Amino acid sequence: MTTINRQDSNTPVTAPPIASSKQPLPTAKTVDTQSVRKRLQSELMALMMSGDSGISAFPEEDNLFNWKGTISGSKDTVFEGTEYKLSLSFPNDYPFKAPKVKFETSCFHPNVDVFGNICLDILQDKWSSAYDVRTILISIQSLLGEPNTASPLNTQAASLWGNHEEYRKMVEKLYKPVA
Amino acid sequence: MVVEDATSSVCDLGILDSLNGDAVREIMETWNGYCLATEAALLNGRGDLSFGSKLVSQARNLCKYGLESLVEEHFAGFLEETFEKNGASKFWEHFDVYSNVATREMIMDRIQKDSIQQVLCKALEEISMEKQYQEKCLLLLIDVVQPYKDSTPEKRQNSGGTERLHLLSKYQSMVSSVLLATLPPHFPEILHWYFKGMLEELSTIMADDCEDDSESHDKDDMDLDEKSKLPYRTGDMDVDGCYRQNRLLQVVKNVGIVVRDLRNLGFTSMAEDAYASAIFLLLKATVHNLAGGGYRSSALESIKGWIQAVPLQFLHALLAYLGDSINYDDAPSSGLKSPLVSRPSSCYAGIGSSSEGLVRWQLRLEYFAYETLQDLRIAKLFEIIVDYPDSSPAIEDLKQCLEYTGQHSKLVVSFISALRYRLLTAGASTNDLLHLYVSTIKALRTIDPAGVFLEAVGEPIREYLKGRKDTIKCIVTMLTDGTGGNSNGPGNTGDSLLEELNRDEESQVNTGVDDDFNTDDKQAWINAHRWEPDPVEADPLKGSRNQRKVDILGMIVSIIGSKDQLVNEYRVMLAEKLLNKSDYDIDAEIRALELLKIHFGESSMQRCEIMLNDLIDSKRTNANLKATILQRSQTGAEAVGENGVSLDILNATIISSNFWPPIQDESFNIPEPVDRLLSDYAKRFNEVKTPRKLLWKKNLGTVKLELQFEDKSLQFTVTPLHASIITQFQDQTSWTSKNLSAAIGLPIDVLHRRINFWISKGILSESLGADSNDRIFTLVDGTADTSKTGANTGGYEQLGVGDDDGDRSVASVEDQLHKEMAVYEKFVIMMLRSLGGMESHKIHNKLKMFYVADPRYDKSPQQLESFLSGLVAEDKLELIDGGIYKPV
Repeated sequence: MTTINRQDSNTPVTAPPIASSKQPLPTAKTVDTQSVRKRLQSELMALMMSGDSGISAFPEEDNLFNWKGTISGSKDTVFEGTEYKLSLSFPNDYPFKAPKVKFETSCFHPNVDVFGNICLDILQDKWSSAYDVRTILISIQSLLGEPNTASPLNTQAASLWGNHEEYRKMVEKLYKPVA
Repeated sequence: MVVEDATSSVCDLGILDSLNGDAVREIMETWNGYCLATEAALLNGRGDLSFGSKLVSQARNLCKYGLESLVEEHFAGFLEETFEKNGASKFWEHFDVYSNVATREMIMDRIQKDSIQQVLCKALEEISMEKQYQEKCLLLLIDVVQPYKDSTPEKRQNSGGTERLHLLSKYQSMVSSVLLATLPPHFPEILHWYFKGMLEELSTIMADDCEDDSESHDKDDMDLDEKSKLPYRTGDMDVDGCYRQNRLLQVVKNVGIVVRDLRNLGFTSMAEDAYASAIFLLLKATVHNLAGGGYRSSALESIKGWIQAVPLQFLHALLAYLGDSINYDDAPSSGLKSPLVSRPSSCYAGIGSSSEGLVRWQLRLEYFAYETLQDLRIAKLFEIIVDYPDSSPAIEDLKQCLEYTGQHSKLVVSFISALRYRLLTAGASTNDLLHLYVSTIKALRTIDPAGVFLEAVGEPIREYLKGRKDTIKCIVTMLTDGTGGNSNGPGNTGDSLLEELNRDEESQVNTGVDDDFNTDDKQAWINAHRWEPDPVEADPLKGSRNQRKVDILGMIVSIIGSKDQLVNEYRVMLAEKLLNKSDYDIDAEIRALELLKIHFGESSMQRCEIMLNDLIDSKRTNANLKATILQRSQTGAEAVGENGVSLDILNATIISSNFWPPIQDESFNIPEPVDRLLSDYAKRFNEVKTPRKLLWKKNLGTVKLELQFEDKSLQFTVTPLHASIITQFQDQTSWTSKNLSAAIGLPIDVLHRRINFWISKGILSESLGADSNDRIFTLVDGTADTSKTGANTGGYEQLGVGDDDGDRSVASVEDQLHKEMAVYEKFVIMMLRSLGGMESHKIHNKLKMFYVADPRYDKSPQQLESFLSGLVAEDKLELIDGGIYKPV
């Protein structure tokens, strides 16, 4: 239940319908931890074997529900040559609910706030259990190059987006490479 | 004087009251007379007691007035004054010459030592005279005072003897306190030099005696028991011996007098310190001397013998002498003796029976000798172990020493630091490391059968060996070859490991002899009886003694990590060896395999056994096939190929490839007649062994060939590929590399590499072709190449090494492993990218936990390490400080 609450506070608007639809589930949830683990494990294997070069993720410590990931900025975008660390934490009823994804390294981007929260539809109302870690990471990677400036979390970034050179300078200035 | 009057007035106030004026006057006169007499007696008496009578009469008069304590005190005070003036100061004056002796001790020469002896004797004699005289005077006075003292009621219960005793001991302590108070700092040093000189003299006398004695023993052919007894014996002394004995007695007597005098003066402990330190110094020098001669003989026995012969002899004589003299002395002096020099038992003559003091001395000396020898050996333990087993006497010595001293931890610390400094460096070859490791195990097994210290000492070696890449290979070679890896390495290492296998086998057989009825219970009972607590130094984390039994093979295998790895490496080596055999002689391999089977278990060696069985089967099948061919040829069929190549020259090794390590495949065209021969053979095989078919691995095996030139013929044993190359030159003496590679069906670069063999042998020569990439190889004319063959032998060796990897017929364990582990590459790189750098053991854990695909991750940390370093070599990872792997 705690996870659900946390989830709720994070996505106040879109969460209720999903949460209510999942309301009957809690009894089955504890029983199904095993199947969630299995799902995460197989997602991990798939991700590791995919060999995608721009993204990676791996459970942090020994907890299968907390992952650390990296994405690197795609070529020909203002984020080219940068690499960002992410944290992913999976709810107990994954994949019926989206994992909570945050930037760990600060990212100057219209849809990322100063705390690293990401505004991305598939992580909120558009989540579907058909998504997996790999698609999330790829979506975030493409979000970097194609922000949604209509509903920005970082208005400064949104207003600057039009000017590529200035934006690139800001990215470089604010970018702290992964240690 | 005034003070004494005052005290007396306090003490004898009652007496003074009862006196009238005349009496007082008389007392005053007598007192003055007494004082003068005392002065005269003590200062001028000089040995004769003529002043004594006057002193006695005056003292008696005073005593009549009840002033006996006053008399006594005055006399004692004056005695002290005089002794200080006459005795002590004069005594010390003798030694003023040597006041700087401590600083000059290095240049003390013989003459000075002699003079020290003389001066010391003289001074002691003088002061003893003085003391004796004073004692006599004191006794006189005591005789006078005694009756009066006894008459006083409170002293009545004391007998006269004790009073006398009391006064004498008071005098004794006065003497020593005066002397100690005025002691010049260099006096102990002088004593030390004196005793040292005397001991050295004694030692030479004894050494002569010893030699002489042992000679006479040899002549007499005495039995061992008597020989081991003290060499100094009175029974069979000849004249020479008597003379020596006299000299010896003389020396001991001199020392005895000096020691006695010193004791009488209250220098008991100082004298003891001096001769003890002299003895220990001499003992140390002797130990260094006796043990310095190398490690191939035991020094301990001779050291013990020396202790018996010199210092104990000396002490025995000394104690006996003192004991005698003390017997004549009065009792007081014995009260001053230290417990260590307690009076020897009455049996002076019997040399065999030793007093308690002597036994204590012996124990002290032996402990000191053990400790000295042990320190000496521990400091050189590395050299000793390098020299093992020739140095086993030294190890045996060390063992005995450690049993006494119990300073095993010293050994561990010192040896580990020596190892780090001397052995665990990049310069030492893996073979030497292993060799020394085995020697260490064997040597320390003698010292410490439980293997506790071995555990500690072996740790750094093991850790270091784990870091070496060729460790496994070397171990396997040592295990199986008996030549210890490389030919120039120490040869007996391999032997010793094989011998270890043997030893294990024997022990197995021995336990097998036990009837199997209730063996477990019986064994448990025996074990329970044999149980001993672990040494204190044992690390409880390392398991109990039972698991820690010293097993060389086990310890070697533990370096590798798992026996599977070792077995795998052995399999590859065995395959290589078997494939290169041209006869089917595998007796040595069978023996080694049987031994390994005992150690590692039947099942893990199963594949190797199948390989050997393949060889045995091949031999049979081969013979069988040839027999059928022979039959056919007798019936008139085609037995001989048109080129004159018969099946007789072909021996096949038929392997069950599933059980063999992956075999490297290299395709090329072999000469057509041989090819036909092979397919012919395969056909026959198929006929005999239907439905089985023979698939040739044409690149494997060996070819014996003879090259015939106009003037000579040369014989070679080469690989089939080399043979194919040279066969091409049979019909056509010159080839361009392009054509040749087409003819043989080999890539040009491989061809270039392989053909170097023939070039280096001087059979072919190489020249540039029309095209810059093309080269022309020509058969060297028979007449020209004789010198070249010789000149090129050096070059061949080099190429042989360079060719090594190409010539291997079996993929190495490492290659296999890397191929197997390639599936983890993506996983590892991805993981490191998300989580940052990690140590290999963490990577190992992550793989175990999260790698869920089939096949599950099942490699050992060592294997992973090897794989990771492979990735580093391929620039896919980088290794940074602290053993952390990072994605590039």
